[in-house]
Amino acid sequence: MATQAATLSRRVEYISPRRQRVMGFVFLALAAGIWLFFIRTVDAGVSTTFRLTPGGSDIQLADWVFATAPALNILAIISAVLGGYQLARGFGRNTNLVLGLVSFLFMFGFLAWAAADGSLNIAGLLRTTLQKAVPITFGAMSGILSERAGVVNIAIEGMMLTGAMIGALMGSVGRLYFGDTAGLWIGLGSAVIFGGLLALIHGVLSIKYKTDQIISGTVINIFATGMTSFISAKFLQKYQELNSPGIFQSIEFPLLSKIPFIGPVFFDNNVFIFAMFLFLILLHIGLFFTRWGLRLRSVGEHPKAADTLGINVFRTRYMAVTLSGMMAGFGGAYFTLGSVGRFDEVMTAGRGFIGLAAMIFGNWSPFGSFGASLLFGFADSLQSKLAILSVNIPSEILLMAPYIATMVVLAGVIGRGHMPAADGQPYEKE
Amino acid sequence: MYKKRHLILFVLFFSTIFLAACGSSVAPDEVIPSNEEEGASAKICEVTDVGGIDDKSFNATAWAGVQQAAADLGVEGQFLESQQQTDYEANITAFMDEGCDLIISIGFLLGDATEEAAENNPDQNFAIIDFAYDPGYDNVLGIVFATDQAAFLAGYAAAATTQTGIVGTFGGIKIPSVTVFMDGYVYGVEYYNQQNDADVEVLGWEPGVEDGLFAGNFESLDDGRTLAISLMNEGADVIMPVAGPVGLGAAAAVQESGEAWIIGVDSDWTQSSPEYADVILTSVLKRSDSAIYQITEELLAGDFSGGLYLGTLKNDGVGIAPLTNFDGNIDDELAALVEDIIAGDLQTAP
Repeated sequence: MATQAATLSRRVEYISPRRQRVMGFVFLALAAGIWLFFIRTVDAGVSTTFRLTPGGSDIQLADWVFATAPALNILAIISAVLGGYQLARGFGRNTNLVLGLVSFLFMFGFLAWAAADGSLNIAGLLRTTLQKAVPITFGAMSGILSERAGVVNIAIEGMMLTGAMIGALMGSVGRLYFGDTAGLWIGLGSAVIFGGLLALIHGVLSIKYKTDQIISGTVINIFATGMTSFISAKFLQKYQELNSPGIFQSIEFPLLSKIPFIGPVFFDNNVFIFAMFLFLILLHIGLFFTRWGLRLRSVGEHPKAADTLGINVFRTRYMAVTLSGMMAGFGGAYFTLGSVGRFDEVMTAGRGFIGLAAMIFGNWSPFGSFGASLLFGFADSLQSKLAILSVNIPSEILLMAPYIATMVVLAGVIGRGHMPAADGQPYEKE
Repeated sequence: MYKKRHLILFVLFFSTIFLAACGSSVAPDEVIPSNEEEGASAKICEVTDVGGIDDKSFNATAWAGVQQAAADLGVEGQFLESQQQTDYEANITAFMDEGCDLIISIGFLLGDATEEAAENNPDQNFAIIDFAYDPGYDNVLGIVFATDQAAFLAGYAAAATTQTGIVGTFGGIKIPSVTVFMDGYVYGVEYYNQQNDADVEVLGWEPGVEDGLFAGNFESLDDGRTLAISLMNEGADVIMPVAGPVGLGAAAAVQESGEAWIIGVDSDWTQSSPEYADVILTSVLKRSDSAIYQITEELLAGDFSGGLYLGTLKNDGVGIAPLTNFDGNIDDELAALVEDIIAGDLQTAP
């Protein structure tokens, strides 16, 4: 299995002449796109304003104003030159990097065109991108933990929903007895614990009783929807004091938050965003550079071999699934404790499932999934910006855009991923 | 294997029970008994939209009307919550089996399910909020509201409030009962500009193009939050979210930043969500409760007929809540606007 994986990843790196040519035409097409759609429709003498300070930030930065048409011309020329070079000589291993660059130029041109004769808050766009990516990334990390160990977990949505509800409920109770800050932490802790408990049910069903993991996950999702809606209707909506846990306030990172542009976007956020980065790093190191991670992955790739080497497959899988649920519970708490400070029925609105998609697109790796989440978050924030700027695209199409963009970019650029070999298969000891 | 099969059966069994208990099935979610000793004179049954009975929005407002009727008129009230759109038909059928005298469907999205049920059961009385059938049915009363008239007033007030010269709005899903709010809002702002030689800009809706900013759902409060942040980033300092509970996410974002005001919709948000009272400018009221109360009275008097009920400023079917957090006083101007709108002198929608 391991050698197969290695050949696979080597094959992805190899650039065939056909791919080289296709990419060259893609670059040229993007350059032509800038000309056709943007430059021709922009009046001469019009300028674009990018605002670089998100709302509510003290660190003011002057607006970036430039003439739209000349800037677009420069972008188109750079893209065309890159496309020509790709066709003639080729960038070889750096093709994907250049593709990223050209896509960025195209996106920049698009934004400049959309905000022509107006203004667009770029810093705000990036900030909402990051915030939109938070619950998706947590969902993806939850999926990675359990699927790397060979257990499919489609109950992430339900675990997040439970985490959101428990976070709001216990946070409010904690607030009543122990004050604001303590309440928030109690809520967060309870969300993590309940996420873990739900995952334990999933573990017992799918590891011990070898139930079909999809069925078990579906049942947990339905159960979580029913239970949270029931508790919400009977208690949270009736007694408002049980549904007001408050929100984790933004923490300004000392010094770093004073950097113009980058500071307000990255270093002036609440605890969930910092925790997300921390968990991403920990999970990456843990999975790929420790004995713990090696054992976890071996159980997901070839449980029988792992068993022969003396690894306790069942225990490892229980541990992974429980951690996965705790991660989902943490991410679920974001909806109530990190975002709006109250719970309402089915408020996670499918973000857990999108997290799973991000995990697959990110090839079951933490940072890959984070990239996918960011891409989705960017497309989602961008579509609302475009609607605000009243760009002439129907809102129904705009609302689809995040999903389409994620599929196209990741399927087209990242290519085929490979899932853990024993993913979804219950292990039967012989 | 034997054990495994038992376990699957066990799980299925319990999930079925659970679904039956908290989803929508024949057992109604709540029954208000009539306060008259000799039994109810009529049974009023409400089928909610997916937002649920506690959405602090139109489902809750309509239910308040049923409760009011139960308290004053001695009818019996029941409701069923739709958990998803496929529940509409099942819930309506369940209520027909219950022998309801009037089944009230809440919301535009129930239009098709209600129409089908009404066609097949000509003797059953129906009412539906936010849907008007053309041609109408004898046994269905479409209850629609000229919300644009009230939103016009809110738009005028928003334009009078803004410091940045930019106000915003967003919707849940692009359906007529949502966009009618946004139409009136934009027209109100434009009228303010005309009257006061101002240049207030509206983000999020263009009546001419009939398109704007939408969350795409009525559930995700997090979407409401980020939409409000996006609007504030582009300079809007008064925001009217027409998206049910999603709007509460916007209120939370506004409260956190302290940079804008919120205009509530459907009910008076200073009453229904007092935790956000400090950022609420006013609310656009859509009084489905008073409409349902009136219809119940007609039903009891034997006057129920299908057709159309239109709530307007004139019959108090729509209105705006008192301005809070507003510097200065424009009550007289608003009162004058109300008269002009009732007289038909002002255009409040395209």
